[in-house]
Amino acid sequence: MAVSQRQKQKAETKKFLIECAMEQFANKGLTATRTADIASAAEVSHGTIFLHFPTRERLLEEVIEEFGSRTAKRMHELIDGDCTLEEVLAAHLKGIGECEGFYAALISETAVLPEGARNALIMIQSAISHHILQVAEREMDAGTIKTMPFDLLFNTWIGLIHYYLSNRALFAPEDSVISRHGQRLTDHYMNLISEKGGF
Amino acid sequence: MKICIACGMPMKAKEDFAMGDESKDYCKYCARPDGTMQNYDEKLEGMTEFIVKTQGIDQEAARNAARGMMEKLPAWQN
Ligand SMILES: [Zn+2]
Repeated sequence: MAVSQRQKQKAETKKFLIECAMEQFANKGLTATRTADIASAAEVSHGTIFLHFPTRERLLEEVIEEFGSRTAKRMHELIDGDCTLEEVLAAHLKGIGECEGFYAALISETAVLPEGARNALIMIQSAISHHILQVAEREMDAGTIKTMPFDLLFNTWIGLIHYYLSNRALFAPEDSVISRHGQRLTDHYMNLISEKGGF
Repeated sequence: MKICIACGMPMKAKEDFAMGDESKDYCKYCARPDGTMQNYDEKLEGMTEFIVKTQGIDQEAARNAARGMMEKLPAWQN
């Protein structure tokens, strides 16, 4: 399929705008960031934003989807058929860590976001839970982790990570929560769910 | 990397594809036992159940999220 120079350029501008928007959302928050802030960060006119995204809502959804596809790709790269649950959790944190500011803002503001944005987050969690489920089922069968309802296994992990992320200013001021606490939280979680209390 | 047209999953390994056939545009989770692609209602039901099972979300809220996500996938544009 031949893609014209113009289409290519348009796609690249769009990609760049998503990148700028993600950074603005991370710094100012998802609700507080205005499209004018994104335009000025990208050094384009305000109208340019709306050539690429029909509404602000759609722009926000596309940024969330971009974060989701990055995380999904990262997990697919790092995980193979026989890796351990601990390795899957590490891959999850690595994916989050690459856009930590944005993700922290996203989960802190979820309740007040438009429906499309909230649904996009559920879909991101769905992709992650898919990877965790595959390995957790195997490890439950093997008796290395405790048998428990899968939604609680997943939500206990998410709850722990999200609590630290949504309180970044307390747990890791001016720093990354994932790099500062990620390993410790993973060890603690594994210890909680391991059949023999871990090793 | 190819992305499943019906659920959006990245398909990396041969086994990720329906019937292990890399020329297919949909993944093994979107295939029926005979290898054909599930229809809209089957996929919506499957996705909803998966969200309920893995995230513990209310059935209706999960169906709503699944519907919203399917709206954006190439297989369900019409
Ligand atoms: Zn699929």
